[in-house]
Amino acid sequence: MTDWLVTAAAAMLVVAPLLAGGLSLAVRRSSLLHAINLTSMGLLVVSEILISRIVLNDGSLAVLGASMYFDALSVFVLFIIGTVGLACSLYMRSYLDEQVARGVIAPNRLNLFFFLFHMFLLAMVLATTANSIGVQWVAVEATTLATTFLIAFWRRRESLEAGWKYLILCSVGISLALFGVVLVYYSSLHVLSDVGKALNVTELLPVADRLNQHVLKLAFIFILVGYGTKVGLVPMHSWLPDAYTEAPAPVVAMLAGVLEVVAVYAILRIKMIVDHAVPASFSGNLLLLLGFASFVTAALFILVQRNYKRLFAYSSIEHMGIAMIGFGIGGTVGTFGGLFHLLNHAFAKSVAFFAAGNVHRRFRTVDISQVQGVMVAQPWTAMALLFAGLALSALPPGALFASETSIVTALTASGGAENGAVALSAPLAGENGRMGLVAVFLLSAVLAFGGLIYRVTTMVWGTPQQDIVQGEAWTAGHVPMVLLIAALVGFGSALPPPLRELLGRATNLLLLQ
Amino acid sequence: MLSEMGSQLIDLCSALLLLTCFAIVAQRRLAACVDLFALQSAFLAGTAALVGFLTDNHHVYVTAAMTGVVKVIIIPVVLKKVIQRLNVKRELVMNVNVPVALLICGALVILAFFITRPIIPLGHVLTRDSLAIALAIILIGLFTMIARQKAVTQLVGFLVVENGLFLGATAATHGMPFVVELGVFFDVLVAALIAGIYTNRLQDAFDSVDTSHLTGLKE
Repeated sequence: MTDWLVTAAAAMLVVAPLLAGGLSLAVRRSSLLHAINLTSMGLLVVSEILISRIVLNDGSLAVLGASMYFDALSVFVLFIIGTVGLACSLYMRSYLDEQVARGVIAPNRLNLFFFLFHMFLLAMVLATTANSIGVQWVAVEATTLATTFLIAFWRRRESLEAGWKYLILCSVGISLALFGVVLVYYSSLHVLSDVGKALNVTELLPVADRLNQHVLKLAFIFILVGYGTKVGLVPMHSWLPDAYTEAPAPVVAMLAGVLEVVAVYAILRIKMIVDHAVPASFSGNLLLLLGFASFVTAALFILVQRNYKRLFAYSSIEHMGIAMIGFGIGGTVGTFGGLFHLLNHAFAKSVAFFAAGNVHRRFRTVDISQVQGVMVAQPWTAMALLFAGLALSALPPGALFASETSIVTALTASGGAENGAVALSAPLAGENGRMGLVAVFLLSAVLAFGGLIYRVTTMVWGTPQQDIVQGEAWTAGHVPMVLLIAALVGFGSALPPPLRELLGRATNLLLLQ
Repeated sequence: MLSEMGSQLIDLCSALLLLTCFAIVAQRRLAACVDLFALQSAFLAGTAALVGFLTDNHHVYVTAAMTGVVKVIIIPVVLKKVIQRLNVKRELVMNVNVPVALLICGALVILAFFITRPIIPLGHVLTRDSLAIALAIILIGLFTMIARQKAVTQLVGFLVVENGLFLGATAATHGMPFVVELGVFFDVLVAALIAGIYTNRLQDAFDSVDTSHLTGLKE
């Protein structure tokens, strides 16, 4: 019974976006396109809830001839894809209609937008559920191909520039990840006999401790750099602020909220395999290095931003850095904090970019100095913007406060290997080194907090220019913002039990327990 | 006897692939770069067919055939069409001049052999050195993308990186699982087509495919 149900739900995850994408190409009417989109997203969320219930009851499982693999970690990522995707679909309802009405999007290009959006979703679902890390690579590269035209959708000079940069940098980065995948395969040559399945996670994990250490180390470096480009970790981040500024708001919410998480997930999958053969301090220290580089650099860039979309883009780099620090330091607290941070950041950043999209449509500029008095012009959006600013600076009541606190706790307490935290590399292992890291962490957090809050408040308060229309009607686009904010506040005080269970299981998976 | 000769033949083919890389770095004419890429892909198809023959892996033949169709015929034809529309046929400004670029590429080859030295003995006896050569080709491809400014040349650099990856996958490991190779082919083809479309749009928007014009987005 459950077998049949799981297979159907897993197939639905792939079939729904595929079918919706095909139908979108054939349909012209905007209302029908939205209906197809919402139906497909709804089906996605339902199947994913079904699968997560079964995974919580029975543990991880492989379906459809072992081509798809579900465990607590992938189900958790699916949950983020589903919720943020649904929120974006609701937001698109008012956003796209307005753009069509204003003549920014020609009506006959609307179905292209939806087609690419569905292909983007499909690629992310495949990247999350694929059992083979080779297929996962193919899917992650497919996300690049699907999104590059979404980023350049306005076809202005700047958007073409952003799209080209994104395509080239991410494709190259990802080629390096493919070399890493080839190396993983190379390492399994003498261990696994069935070459057709030698890249499957279900085959690799049980024998991972017998794989060759040197090859796996090299593979992990290539894969970290490759997928790290996609996450936007410093120093591979230069495409990210451009792409986030130029892409349409719902697309940015998906890029920042979901795609980054999927790329982090791809890194974590390999980390699990590598950690079996190599002490966890190897991958942990590399993640810490990139995490701190991203956090510190982004905090400094946040201070000097004059463009609010770039501001939020750098804040994405910052938070991915923080999550990486969490995974790098490891242990129950750090890993749990990292995963929780991914979830909270996805929600908060979606709210931020939805609000930024609203502001952009009203004020017609991305320049912070040109935007004043959002509270007067668009009170709902202003409140969302303010909340997102507070949440992204890791202040309560947003749940990012909780996750960032647990990461900094893990950082303070690490060194004690008793809770499973990784041993830091020699210069940082001492009391002074660790406290130095904590100091850098807190200082960067304060810098980012100051920059973000200062910029956001100058936009929210004040009086708008004469020519700005005042007043804001309630639309379908406001619903997802309210829901996401409610979720963030809720997560800040108490996680719903199934979600807590899911996070706990995923943490244990990552700690190889 | 056969395997020893086979091993040498594969080494020869891999070396030819590497040699075409150097030729691409030294070439200024865009159309000639595309021709050299097609030649390199033909060597890659040859290497794959050889590996398939020597190891009796039939799906490697399919990979070889697909390389022939996609990388020797389709992508070069598309790129030639793109170049015909452009107003510039040559790489005029080079970030790094040819002699220095060739020296750097030589250094990259040494680096590739250095990086892979500890893991080379783990591979199949037949195709050991190909992994190092594959990494060298990848590094040179990346370098080409940095050192050249035209969108077309950058695309050729990207395709060279992909060729290196394929050499790594077919020669060092005798082919990845078939689904993966199929997917990778699809991705490369689509990426090349998309980049071709971009080149056209860049030409329309900037009246040039010189990526040094792409500086509108800054802090």
